Amino acid sequence: MKRFLLGLLFVAGVFLALGSFPGLARQGIWDSIVLDFREDIPVSERDAALTAIAQQTGITPRLNSEFSVADNVYVMEGDRETLQALQRSPVDDLTESISPNYEYQAYFSPNDPDYAKQWNFRSINIEPAWDETKGGGVTVAVIDTGISPVPDLEKTNMVKGYDFVNDQELAIDDNGHGTHVAGTIAQSTNNGFGVAGIAYEATLMPLKVLGNSGGGTVVDIAEAIRFAADHDADVINLSLGGGGDADVLREAIAYAHNKGVIIVAAAGNANTNAASYPARYPQVVAVSAIDSSGSKAPYSNYGAGVDISAPGGALAENDPNGGILQNTINPETGQSIFLPLQGTSMASPHVAAVAALVKSVGIDEPDEVTEILKKSARVINNDELNYYGAGHLDADAAVKLALKGQITPRDFFRWMKENGYLNLKFWFDGGVVVLPTKIAMVLGSYLLAWLLRNYLPWFSFSLSGGLVLGSSGLFFLRGLYAFDLPQAPFRVLGSSIPELGSAIQASPLLNPLTASLLIPLALIALFLGHPSLKWFAVGSCLGVAACLGVSAIADPSMMWLGGGAIARVFLLANAAVCFLLATLAAKAAYQQQEA
Amino acid sequence: MSQQLQGTVKKSSMGMGAWALVTEGGQTYEIYKKSVPDGLLSDGQAVRVSGKVRDDVMTAAMIGPVFQVESFETV
Repeated sequence: MKRFLLGLLFVAGVFLALGSFPGLARQGIWDSIVLDFREDIPVSERDAALTAIAQQTGITPRLNSEFSVADNVYVMEGDRETLQALQRSPVDDLTESISPNYEYQAYFSPNDPDYAKQWNFRSINIEPAWDETKGGGVTVAVIDTGISPVPDLEKTNMVKGYDFVNDQELAIDDNGHGTHVAGTIAQSTNNGFGVAGIAYEATLMPLKVLGNSGGGTVVDIAEAIRFAADHDADVINLSLGGGGDADVLREAIAYAHNKGVIIVAAAGNANTNAASYPARYPQVVAVSAIDSSGSKAPYSNYGAGVDISAPGGALAENDPNGGILQNTINPETGQSIFLPLQGTSMASPHVAAVAALVKSVGIDEPDEVTEILKKSARVINNDELNYYGAGHLDADAAVKLALKGQITPRDFFRWMKENGYLNLKFWFDGGVVVLPTKIAMVLGSYLLAWLLRNYLPWFSFSLSGGLVLGSSGLFFLRGLYAFDLPQAPFRVLGSSIPELGSAIQASPLLNPLTASLLIPLALIALFLGHPSLKWFAVGSCLGVAACLGVSAIADPSMMWLGGGAIARVFLLANAAVCFLLATLAAKAAYQQQEA
Repeated sequence: MSQQLQGTVKKSSMGMGAWALVTEGGQTYEIYKKSVPDGLLSDGQAVRVSGKVRDDVMTAAMIGPVFQVESFETV
């Protein structure tokens, strides 16, 4: 039963690996097909093929560019089905390859037209962080003047909040400050409109405690903090301050902190040598403001209590570009405007949003989140007056630090690279051939190995070789270069164990003889007694399990068995048995080693 | 207990806009906007005000202690 559950876990693991790897999804994006015709076929034959394709699909392949003439490279719109149909048609014989025309992209950059004006997003190094997370699943309470439904918050997730000023459920902004702050945290992003937000897949909770004059009482603020803690907020942003220490506020903050809420507040705008309340409380992350050059903004409080600095902007008389630009309302008319503002009020939501990103990748304890934010900040030397606390906020470094020690598919690539299996040149050169499913297979084998980590030597070349050969093959070949081992036989084959049976015909279909437990079983039978090769056998067994599992889900096309339910069941059953075999063998090998 | 301050009323661009009272000693107070005597809020106006610091009030502008002006005279 336990083994059956482990088997299920493996399938779930593969899904998880596929779903949780945004970079992979992007690598695999394509909506057109490349037809690279052979140069040694008559032009008439090629043209006949092009005409036939146009007749059958209704789409005429065209030369990729004027430079494609010599190479005979044509592109046509098409999906996976078209691709497979072409690969199985007689056209395949006339071409060197028929492959997806993958789209390549550097770090994701949103299409919001005024994103270019958001210098503050570059300042906090957000784009690489978006590669890992956009804050989904995290709720940020904005305790402020309320939030108005401006157009650039239309696609932002919101939950019910409360208006403590007017004692009503709807917390609409009549000042413009809260809507602006909310925009920094989670403005609707990549919606082709306006500007971007930092943790734009996070959910906002509007809590109104400041009236249209921009002021409010500590009692309302304290109640709002408790409300947020009781209604599952993960992060609280307090872009407000002043007054003094108040029991009611101190207790509310302790309450929320004990419930696991991360509380971030603005240090204050009086240019004085101490953070104001509530930022000053030890459980609160106090944020000072920097301008677009990274210097302390002229108004920002500093010194005692300041934990970290973030962009708050500085508006010069004739230059609004130094401010933080978000969508808010004009308090006079209630109309939507894009307004540059300055203040530690603007700096605080940067930190709250990055805290949401950190939380979204699995860091729950507020003190741990704070620690990560501070440790990952860009240190500013000679900061004698503590203008910057731990330094400048760095979203990417924070998220990376948060992910450290957790197993993610990305770690795996780093691990492979460090072990010589993957080098960047190959990655970019080979991107077109390495289908996402291939990568998922390697990831799957890695996850399976992780499940058996108690029995496996983690940094064994033999095991890693087995994992890679079993699952994808290609990576293994590259590894061979790095490790200077016999290359020839593997280079010729260039495929994983399950693909061996169809490698010679260069067929995309899997041969049931090799795409099964037979080879892993043979390897284990042969090598279980060998001190290092046994790990290779176990690794290949896990690799095959991953390859078959992923094939079953993604593309169960097999020789003789077809591509339907029969093939799927066959592959899944073999994957499960391979995994069980690997578990038994790993245990046996482990005990052997111990003895 | 009422407190007297003398200084200059200044418009501040912090928050969505706020009003400051900068005393001769250089201390900046944020004028509590919820109750303001008519005619006080004029940029550059030198005034003597009477009122109290509101320790129980926090603001979005955060430019200094919040001062509720009860009465004022121009200087």
